[in-house]
Amino acid sequence: MSAWAVGKRTPRIDSIGKVTGKAIYADDIKLPGMLYGKVVRTKYPHAKILNIDISEAKRVKGVEAVLTAKDIPGVNRVGVAITKDQPIIADDKVRYMGDALAIIAAHDLRTAQFAASLIKVEYEVLPVIEDPEEALFEASVKIHDKGNLICHHKVRKGNIDAGFSEADIIVERKFETQMVEHSYIEPESAIAEPLDDGGVRVFGCMQNIYTSRRILAQVLNLPMNKVVCVQTTMGGSFGGKDDAMNILACRVALLALATGKPVKITYTRDESMIDSYKRHPYKMYYRVGLKNDGTITAAEIKIYANGGAYASMSEFVTWRSVVHATGPYRIPNVSTDIYAAYTNLNYTGAMRGFGSPQIALAYETLMDECAEKLGIHPYEIRKKNLLRTGDTTATGQVLDGKVSLNEVVDAVCEASDFINKYTEYKNNRARPGIRKRGIGLACSYRGVSLGAEGVDYGTCFLKLEEDGTLIISIGITDMGQGARTVQAQFAAEILGLTLDRISVLDINTSRAPDSGPTVASRGTLISGNAITNAAQKIRRNLELACEQLIGKTSSGFIFENNMIINPENGRAVSIKDAAAKAIKMRLPIHAEGFYPAPQTSWDEATGQGLAYFTYVYGANVAEVEVDMETGKVNVLKVWASHEVGKAVNPEGVEGQIYGGIAMGLGLGILEEFEFKNGVPQTTNFDEYLIPTSMDIPEIECRIVENPDPIGPFGAKSIGEPTNELAAPAILNAIFNATGKRISETPANLEVVLLGHKLKR
Amino acid sequence: MLPEIQYLSPTTVDEALNMLYENKNARILAGGTDLLIELKKLPINENVTLIDISKINELKYIEDEGDFISIGPLITHQELSRNEFIKKWFPFLSTACSSIGSPQIRSRGTIGGNICNGSPAADTPPVLVALDATVTLKNKDGERELLVSDFIIAPYKTERKPSELLTKIRLRKLIPGYGFSFIKLGRRNALAISRMNIAVAMLVKEGVIEDVRIACGSVFPTTMRVPAAENFLAGKKPSIELFKDVGEIVSNEMVRISGYRWSTPYKKPVISAMVKNSLVEAVGRRVI
Repeated sequence: MSAWAVGKRTPRIDSIGKVTGKAIYADDIKLPGMLYGKVVRTKYPHAKILNIDISEAKRVKGVEAVLTAKDIPGVNRVGVAITKDQPIIADDKVRYMGDALAIIAAHDLRTAQFAASLIKVEYEVLPVIEDPEEALFEASVKIHDKGNLICHHKVRKGNIDAGFSEADIIVERKFETQMVEHSYIEPESAIAEPLDDGGVRVFGCMQNIYTSRRILAQVLNLPMNKVVCVQTTMGGSFGGKDDAMNILACRVALLALATGKPVKITYTRDESMIDSYKRHPYKMYYRVGLKNDGTITAAEIKIYANGGAYASMSEFVTWRSVVHATGPYRIPNVSTDIYAAYTNLNYTGAMRGFGSPQIALAYETLMDECAEKLGIHPYEIRKKNLLRTGDTTATGQVLDGKVSLNEVVDAVCEASDFINKYTEYKNNRARPGIRKRGIGLACSYRGVSLGAEGVDYGTCFLKLEEDGTLIISIGITDMGQGARTVQAQFAAEILGLTLDRISVLDINTSRAPDSGPTVASRGTLISGNAITNAAQKIRRNLELACEQLIGKTSSGFIFENNMIINPENGRAVSIKDAAAKAIKMRLPIHAEGFYPAPQTSWDEATGQGLAYFTYVYGANVAEVEVDMETGKVNVLKVWASHEVGKAVNPEGVEGQIYGGIAMGLGLGILEEFEFKNGVPQTTNFDEYLIPTSMDIPEIECRIVENPDPIGPFGAKSIGEPTNELAAPAILNAIFNATGKRISETPANLEVVLLGHKLKR
Repeated sequence: MLPEIQYLSPTTVDEALNMLYENKNARILAGGTDLLIELKKLPINENVTLIDISKINELKYIEDEGDFISIGPLITHQELSRNEFIKKWFPFLSTACSSIGSPQIRSRGTIGGNICNGSPAADTPPVLVALDATVTLKNKDGERELLVSDFIIAPYKTERKPSELLTKIRLRKLIPGYGFSFIKLGRRNALAISRMNIAVAMLVKEGVIEDVRIACGSVFPTTMRVPAAENFLAGKKPSIELFKDVGEIVSNEMVRISGYRWSTPYKKPVISAMVKNSLVEAVGRRVI
């Protein structure tokens, strides 16, 4: 297929507004008569609420509303997955330090904050649970009435006992990962405005505005057509602006409807850190059996996920983990169990990777440990066990599409000289020296889109104008990942338009149909297929117009550079003129696009099924230098290879890889959201340490393209797979340098030097 | 959100001293890189008087006074890290200043603020303490000069009286031949608060150590020199074995003075290594 727009390195169509400061973020919006809201939070992470006295706060001059749970007209238990258990404002209990007790609207923020200090709450303090295994003890205090188990998923394949009895060695290891914050640069912000029909319009940085609208309608007890959500320019999300923003949208909307005035709330960084959900910490028990030649015969896995105070996405996050827990390997006998449990920490939910970075840390460092024990090179042990086209996954799915694992692993190993360097650095271990180099490999496969989590489809509306410009309206959103640019590229490719002729609309729930949430690295595949579908309909009508304008052709018209060409006679017409002609012919030049994703299946009892309709494959190699005296790790370089089907915008793919590795480095060696008896201790970036530009190494990308028949122009996904490999590659590199196996993250100074964390 | 602020902005030292005399609870604002963060933690209806000294030009100087270099308290970390006098006479002060925070913090943060904030993890005090630097404090009644090591008395506590303003930091030049080093251990490569830091100045003459100063931050309750280590080194020939032994001495002093804490299992071997490495570096960096 001739590529006119798809596959070209394309500057982001939204970048100029962002770098010149002209982009409007939620906190930039000021509406006439707008009030400022404030959330009053609990003083204890776990307590019964006996009484809330708001009388004094209400009397403060300038305060227009003080609301508690009693003032919520609709439901007060919401959630984005299956279990709906989170209150907009706490009523009977508080379960973590982010829980709200009241919300206030006042003429200015200072007044609202002062009024907040006057609210008196009587608590009955309850014991705090921080650990998910402890939460599941019979005797533990119940955080929710139903008990502390959020969910349990399992996978059963083959015969685990037979598998272990075939093994020559069995390797067991416990891994622990930490809680991680998304660290989007823009904290949560939303503005609600009452509408004259009794409804409400909410502007804000909601990631999934259709989910926000559904929850707003339930909480406000309003029909969906009277709730309008408008997404403002997003200052990052990484999965983090779902639940927390839905709840904030409800809080501002409640205040706006109570006062009849627009209300804005923008969280400070500390409020954002305390309120928002995080990445699940995992405790993982892995047991793997192998033959002496490195062939894996069995894997038995038990995982406890720390779900925090509310269920949120735990059911889906842990499901993705259970599907992928054995990594990209052919293992005939598998038994995996994963449990998510409530604790009194921040609730945990969606974050880039969605349950995969944790398990990749376990299975990829374990592979290296097995290789070391068997005296096999880490490259060889992977080559022996990697899934190949036609193999069956742990969930019984036959991979009939092309499996690109060997390609991506070979690409990074060649580029980095991994095979030789690994052996050289290993031999260096015993030699004296303060700074030791190491190199590590990690690879994975990943199911694209929602899979058996839910209904999967995309829809859009394309409108060609009489001047030959195009408007795209679609519910798949741009949070900074470059969605609008690739959406415009797909339309440009089919309609022959240059990108300056294409606008992608800001998203408004009343104006674009729901395409499901922008999650699961599904944006390019889902929106690309929907846009392609719509653009083809418009193209057919333009072709009918062209037959009259420039004659018929049996070899097909060429759409390029805002022109349509008849290759048989060389005649050409502008798209503008073709559009005008189509209108005269009463042919529509607008179209709806629809794309239903292929079916998936899942049997919860056996953990078997067609989990995802297609997969992507990736590999990272990291080279590090470890200071043997201090435990300081410097990551020197990372090589990344990802099979993406088709790189629609190679520049965007590289951007995703750079960002994913930076976040992966944070997970691997730096970041940790810490608590003391349920109270967050690292609530700003002075103590919650994310990588700086001085910590992020040179990154070399090798993009592999094996077009997928399901993807638009063969494209699959890239956002999340980039985030699951840097951390295990770095940990493997530390082992290569030091000979010390690290099985907890972050591998900070203390962990690298002493082998374990130090607790205050 | 900031508390209620009464903001005063003197342009001369005398004006500032009058304001300090009249406002006993005033806070002094220089670069603000520590103070503003602290103020945001106060209740919003608290009344705070801020005396912003950043417009007092007479506090911005670096002067060669013959035997001494004098530094005005408003000199920023950025300026110090690039100043030619400092690079010539006290290169490890340049190193320390360029290791602080980020470009933004180095452009705003001042040496006076770094001293007066009294953080045990601050990066300029180890150098200043190693050099026996002094600070001059002025109030309406007069002025006094004391050692930086006597000025910072406990974490975030100094000898400064509410009426006093730090007006000068004075460093005695060392005779030629000293080697210097400053080593900082942070969790990341920029914007890192020192887990520990160390400054060394050492004079080796005719193969033996004639004078050595070792000062550590985040090792003892305040930044201080380690006489036990310095005395052990005096008169000996530099060697790796010797420096390793000194590392042990400093780490034992840390446990003796600071007690055994949650972080000791990590800090003890690491400070020992940092001492060794900074001594090695100081020998290698001698200005001859």
